[in-house]
Amino acid sequence: MAPFFWLPGILSLLLVLHWEHGAGSPTPDKATCTTDHPCPSNLMTQIKNQLEQLNSTANTLFVLYYTAQGEPFPSEVDKLCGGHDLTNFPPFHAEGTEKDKLVELYRIIAYFNISLGNIMEDQKTLNPNDQNLHSKLSSTADTVRGLLNNVLCHLCNEYNMGHVDMSFGPDISGNDIFHKKKLGCQCLFNYKQVIAELTQAF
Amino acid sequence: MLTLWTRVVQAAFIFLTTESIGVLLDPCGHISPESPVVQLGSNFTAVCVLKEKCMDNFAVNADNIFWKTNHAIVPKEQYTVINRTASSVTFRDVSSLNTQLTCNIYAFGQIEQNVYGITIISGLPPEKPKNLNCIVNEEKNMMCQWDPGRKTYLETNYTLKSEWATEKFADCKAQRDTPNSCTLDYSPVYFVNIEVWVEAENALGNITSDHINFDPIDKVKPNPPHNLSVRSSEELSSILKLAWINPSIKSFLRLKYSIQYRTKDASTWSQIPPEDTSSTRSSFTVQDLKPFTEYVFRIRCMKEDGKGFWSDWSEEASGITYEARPSKEPSFWYKIDPSHTHGYRPVKLIWKTLPPFEANGKILDYEVTLTRWKSHFQNYRVNDTKLTVNLTNDRYIATLTARNLVGRSDASVLTIPACDFRAAHPVMDLKAFPKDNKLWVEWTAPTESVNKYILEWCVLSDKSPCIPDWQQEDGTVHLTYLRGNLMESKCYLITVTPVYADGPGSPESVRAYLKQAAPSKGPTVRTKKVGKNEAVLEWDQLPVDVQNGFIRNYTILYKTAFGNETAVNVDSSHTEYTLSSLTSDTLYMVRMAAYTDEGGMYGPDFTFTTPKFAQGEIEAIVVPVCLAFLLTTLLGVLFCFNKRDLIKKHIWPNVPDPSKSHIAQWSPHTPLRHNFNSKDQMYSDGNFTDVSVVEIEVNDKKPFPEDLKSMDLFKKEKNSTEGHSSGIGGSSCMSSSRPSISSGDENESGQNTLSTVQYSTVVHSGYRHQVPPVQVFSRSESTQPLLDSEERPEDLQLVDNVDSGDGVLPRQQYFKQNCSQHETSQDISHFERPKQVSSVNEEDFVRLKQQQISDHISQSCGSEQMKMFQEISTAAVFGPGTEGEVERFETVEMEAAIDEGMPKSYLPQTVRQGGYVPQ
Repeated sequence: MAPFFWLPGILSLLLVLHWEHGAGSPTPDKATCTTDHPCPSNLMTQIKNQLEQLNSTANTLFVLYYTAQGEPFPSEVDKLCGGHDLTNFPPFHAEGTEKDKLVELYRIIAYFNISLGNIMEDQKTLNPNDQNLHSKLSSTADTVRGLLNNVLCHLCNEYNMGHVDMSFGPDISGNDIFHKKKLGCQCLFNYKQVIAELTQAF
Repeated sequence: MLTLWTRVVQAAFIFLTTESIGVLLDPCGHISPESPVVQLGSNFTAVCVLKEKCMDNFAVNADNIFWKTNHAIVPKEQYTVINRTASSVTFRDVSSLNTQLTCNIYAFGQIEQNVYGITIISGLPPEKPKNLNCIVNEEKNMMCQWDPGRKTYLETNYTLKSEWATEKFADCKAQRDTPNSCTLDYSPVYFVNIEVWVEAENALGNITSDHINFDPIDKVKPNPPHNLSVRSSEELSSILKLAWINPSIKSFLRLKYSIQYRTKDASTWSQIPPEDTSSTRSSFTVQDLKPFTEYVFRIRCMKEDGKGFWSDWSEEASGITYEARPSKEPSFWYKIDPSHTHGYRPVKLIWKTLPPFEANGKILDYEVTLTRWKSHFQNYRVNDTKLTVNLTNDRYIATLTARNLVGRSDASVLTIPACDFRAAHPVMDLKAFPKDNKLWVEWTAPTESVNKYILEWCVLSDKSPCIPDWQQEDGTVHLTYLRGNLMESKCYLITVTPVYADGPGSPESVRAYLKQAAPSKGPTVRTKKVGKNEAVLEWDQLPVDVQNGFIRNYTILYKTAFGNETAVNVDSSHTEYTLSSLTSDTLYMVRMAAYTDEGGMYGPDFTFTTPKFAQGEIEAIVVPVCLAFLLTTLLGVLFCFNKRDLIKKHIWPNVPDPSKSHIAQWSPHTPLRHNFNSKDQMYSDGNFTDVSVVEIEVNDKKPFPEDLKSMDLFKKEKNSTEGHSSGIGGSSCMSSSRPSISSGDENESGQNTLSTVQYSTVVHSGYRHQVPPVQVFSRSESTQPLLDSEERPEDLQLVDNVDSGDGVLPRQQYFKQNCSQHETSQDISHFERPKQVSSVNEEDFVRLKQQQISDHISQSCGSEQMKMFQEISTAAVFGPGTEGEVERFETVEMEAAIDEGMPKSYLPQTVRQGGYVPQ
């Protein structure tokens, strides 16, 4: 999906995140729970397929990312990307109800969507010529937005939830280039693990 | 200063000009609506409003308004004057797409002036787009298509709209030239339903299509599998292993496949059963393939559940199956050279290379085994497809196997019979026919068990020899086609030979064409015989090289110069035809065509002319006429003969010239003529009134048979002379066969002429054995002077001497005719000769001789006389020097000589012993 289509969504979501910063539990907002047209009946199937789709491409994206960053990332990938969990993915409880899992899924995907947006912006300047990486990042972002649409649609239709309280992600603005690369690598590494868990849970 | 003034003038000019244009551009009114767009078939009303200023200047009002559409005045019935300044016009059921509508006035009542003009644009509102559908090209874009409906004739915008349940996407505007599709330049997100619809809008309205809501994954067209590879297996020659790389969508989407394959030279594809490729995979083993065969493969994929679209076909990949043992024995046949040498016969064994689907690999060589007796083998390993061996006259068994890398074929067995083998049992009902551009051969199998059939064929031609090709068929086959490069319009001689266990059977042959055509040349017709009313035409059979097919029939077209053409069809087995009912003495033009099943060709034109008369027709007329003439002539001659005395009396009676006659001696005992009563009685009709009777007693001692002999000889000569007797004798006077006989007698007597009296008749003895008492002298009736015998007593003496030399005078009885030519000739030769020698010149004698030569040529009778005369006249009188001159004379001169020199009748008669008996 073209970037200019999802930028407004990110901005609005960020507003939500800012507004709801510090909230501990999801709060349904019936007033805003409206969709332009009815959601399909096979939403859960689509959500599962989307998770599988993201899971099938997560590792490829991760490898493509750290490879594109150059040394020392390829040689020190575990150390640089997996050693410290600086990214703070929202928690997920696989044993919860479908509604709870969908809410937690929404938080995780929304969190990753913001992080992925930051990574894409940084990579445009750090690796402007790596079209393959940009394409994969963009494709993943599109899929993530689609997943958010489906989860929100399902929460709205099934559980009448208009929005979900969110926590902020790490602020990586202003850091140096290496740190940006490292944060992005750590984010994608954790995303790879989280998405695998989510796929398994749904 | 000057510059400043110039600039002022310019400024003033510009100002005035601008003012003028402003006035000119200011219309006197306007039309409402300004830019109308009207739906086709609807009504439209326009109003023209005049300005007060113009109305005053031009003295007009709304009543003076008239309307024009495309320069044609609109009828006033469509006008409506609303008030003093406004007039409207109404058009019903607008059908024109673009119309120029102008409002006009007559300034000052007569000057036409345009007030305002507008363009009416007509069209239709858009119809609701139908059949909206989308296709998602993996990793590329999504394209949606729809049916825009009828043509609007207006600028119509089609916009494809799409949205999620929670988000709207940018519109996709269709191109002007493709109002039925629009392509989103991004790939939609899978597993999220998207709602899509089309909005159509133009000046007359807008409309929206039905919305469609779908998951893009159900509309996806995946990228085709790539890197397709083919690998063979040494263990199995009938399989090939395929492998490929799936499109990236396979990571989250289950796929099914479609695999097709074909042999390298084939054009149609075979399909792997879909159920075998209905799940995601990246390899597949294709089975049941032919050994050592190159196959080409291709593959495509789509979503496993069948939703969406098949991908494009992958790039083709090929592979060759592994070799296998030859699956069939080679076709095997032989030819025997008929020339035997020293008890051996050269046998040429020939075989066909196995086709690839039977060779199952590369044939390395062939092994030929010849078995004379069970224990006698001869083995040959040959790379070629023929082998010539010298065999004895015994029976042989030949076997042939083909070998490739994997193994050998079955053996092809052929029996080469002994020399004294008699082939029999041919196939029956052999026929050949073209079908589907092939030449098929069909036959009925013999009752005996046939191992196989050998089909041989070659092109029949007069220019090149028959070079046969051949093929082998199984013993169960009775219908096949010739597997060779056959040519159209060529005559093929096809021979089928059944092959039995003990040797080949009798061959049967048939001719056929793959495709017939019209002959290249037509037959050349000519006449064999031309009659008055018919003509026999003939022609040669066309050479096989120009026939181009089976000659079914000939067509003969013939006509006269100005007549209609007549066509005759002739069976192809004929080579001649008789045109009947022709007109005599007429020129006919003939041309002839030979026809095959596919058409005909005319030969060169030929002309002939029928004769005026039929054959023998002239002869049928001339011969009877000639015969009638001859018959008439003959009857005339006979009549003259019978009436000769009467004719003679009336035409040239004998008138003796007393002044030229003298009496030598009168015999008082001469009996009167009238005493010859017997002769009168014999010739009672008085025909012989002027005939003297001469009786000569010849003391002929020749026996009577000798006379008979001479008579026989005479008769023979007579027979040969009868045909000419009319020539001289007829012309002399009334000669007949009787005088001819007498001449024959005279011939004999001619030899005794020297001893006989020619000038008159002297009777020595009595008539009919009556002995006269005294010698009787008979007077000659001739007017010829009778002085020779008196003046030339030596001649008489010579006669006496001759007579005395003979000893005995012939005693014969004659009836002498005065007009006898023979007599005349002899008279001339013997009695005029002395006179002629003395009185006529040499030329006269030559004439005489010429006559005799002529007689000799024209008359075979009397040849002895001629000879004798010739000898006497030339040798004794003129000598040999005269012959050359004789030969230079013409026939006419000879006749003239006869007429002049020889009296034809009333020749003087000489009394034998110098006496005369006047009559």
